[in-house]
Amino acid sequence: MINRLRELRTARGWSQGELAQRLGVSRQTVNAIETEKYDPSLPLAFNIAELFTLAIEDIFRPNGSGAAPVAARPPDRGFID
Amino acid sequence: MSVCADAYTPRDTRNLRIFTIWCLSSAVMFVGVTFLIRKDIIPHGPLAWSLAIANFIVAFLAARSYLVFLRGADELLRRIQLEGLALGFGAGAVFMLSYRIFERLGAPKLDSAHPYVVMAIFWAIGQYIGTRRYGMGGER
Repeated sequence: MINRLRELRTARGWSQGELAQRLGVSRQTVNAIETEKYDPSLPLAFNIAELFTLAIEDIFRPNGSGAAPVAARPPDRGFID
Repeated sequence: MSVCADAYTPRDTRNLRIFTIWCLSSAVMFVGVTFLIRKDIIPHGPLAWSLAIANFIVAFLAARSYLVFLRGADELLRRIQLEGLALGFGAGAVFMLSYRIFERLGAPKLDSAHPYVVMAIFWAIGQYIGTRRYGMGGER
């Protein structure tokens, strides 16, 4: 998952520690999300979006940003198909 | 700010402190009760049974405090802990099952507590690997 967390945080002049405090997580978690080593849980992603007053998809994007929406994908094939 | 302060929220620190206190109490209790019973300082009877039950209760409360710590933990910390536990459990199970073959081939018989030592060591290794994987650097 690609994210704009560092960009949004620095735009507000917050340190990782400050952001972590606002989100109620550890600074290690903020750092791991920013460096894209860790994808946050859905509740945390919602908290981040709420804090920056943005939609989740404005902050987080799947790695291949050109990924087809679920409805457009071919149906999953069975294990023995 | 220390590495620990970076990895733990204030709640994690508090819960970890409680867990550590219970662990130390459990360890002291275990060593003390084992010593008293093994050296026949207290006779095998109701008092010895009471101490054994007390030791069990303290150990159970230590395990419960870890569960409280894990449930309330920061989500990345929880993931690191669970990965550590998975590695520890896996290594302990592999050791326990594989060593039986070595015993049949003449390797020294091990105490039933030994797999737990392997589990604990690999739990610690797993936590170290997880901490390294998700990184400790970054801006303060």
